[in-house]
Amino acid sequence: MFCNLTRWLISRAEDRGKEMPRFAERHAARCGACREYVLFTASLAARLAGETPSFLAAAPDSPLDPAAWTAEGAGRGTRADFRRRFVLRPFPAAAAALVVVVSALIIFRVVGRGPGPGLTSAEKQAVIASLKSVAAAPAEFRLAAAEAESSLARERVILERSVLSAVEYLQARLNIRVERKQVPKSL
Amino acid sequence: MTDPDRIEQKTDEELAREARAGSRRSFEELALRYKRRLFVYFRPRLGSDQDAEDLVQETFLKLYRNIRNYDPAHRFSTWLYTSANRLAISSYRRKRTAAGRLGPEVVDNSADLAVRTAGEARSTGLWNAAGTLGGNQYRVLWMRYGEDLSVEEIAASIGKSRLAVRLLLHRARTNLMKRVGPTPGRAAVKTAVRETPYG
Repeated sequence: MFCNLTRWLISRAEDRGKEMPRFAERHAARCGACREYVLFTASLAARLAGETPSFLAAAPDSPLDPAAWTAEGAGRGTRADFRRRFVLRPFPAAAAALVVVVSALIIFRVVGRGPGPGLTSAEKQAVIASLKSVAAAPAEFRLAAAEAESSLARERVILERSVLSAVEYLQARLNIRVERKQVPKSL
Repeated sequence: MTDPDRIEQKTDEELAREARAGSRRSFEELALRYKRRLFVYFRPRLGSDQDAEDLVQETFLKLYRNIRNYDPAHRFSTWLYTSANRLAISSYRRKRTAAGRLGPEVVDNSADLAVRTAGEARSTGLWNAAGTLGGNQYRVLWMRYGEDLSVEEIAASIGKSRLAVRLLLHRARTNLMKRVGPTPGRAAVKTAVRETPYG
């Protein structure tokens, strides 16, 4: 049941150049097939390396064609490829250029238009009134802030009273005395 | 620029640097070193010597054109196999399309070849047996043991994750063991597995 896992761990250890995990070692010590796999994996590199020269020697010694390299020229791949791509695909390039020109024309027409029609006197008055209301905003803001502060102070007083009554109740009920050590900090 | 007496002693990376600087002789030396390696790399998947030779030629042509893009910080073989893999994928696609157009005869031929090479594998070496594995399994096995590339370099070359490469290697080993049988010299098994309290 653990053979597949063990063999994977053996392979992984071989590829990472690390020791086999203890679990795999213990299993391989008991399982003959996995032991064979350990040995096979461990010897594979040497066996394949030993066979490589004869394997390569058996391959046909086909002549290369350096004339083709001369025709191409070293390091010209990128530029030549780009040229070929551009020459072979003129229509997408032309379409893209057309889109750019049309977009530029449209933008020019829209942006280059003259100013819109002038405002009437009534409209001007309305705009000035709205601007004034904006300019008057700081005074209104101060008023609103003061209102908010006053409501906050009221809340604080109510809260202090509640706490004091609770303390009094506890003093009476438990027959103890609670002293206020310091005045609470102002909010 | 290139000393002809010492060119055989130079590393691939040194030669690639010189080729990048314009030395034709250095590139030819690289091509000589790698043409058979590339051939055996391509051959099992392509199914014919002629196709494999064409692809080797095409790969070197591509490398020569792009030699200025070679980064000396990396191994030359990683760069070469990255280009080779890309070309191979294009070639397989072309071949598959052509096979679809030509009819079932072409496919039947390649199936015959697979059966034949599987039969030959039992009588010949490990690499021949490896050639009968699935294309990706053979490729990673060749790069790992034939070219001594690390898992990271293989992953970069074939455009897969490291985990995927480790998985392919594991499958390749498992399938190869099924094909060639366990290792000769079983007496050494006990030395390979450390003694445990259970053993």
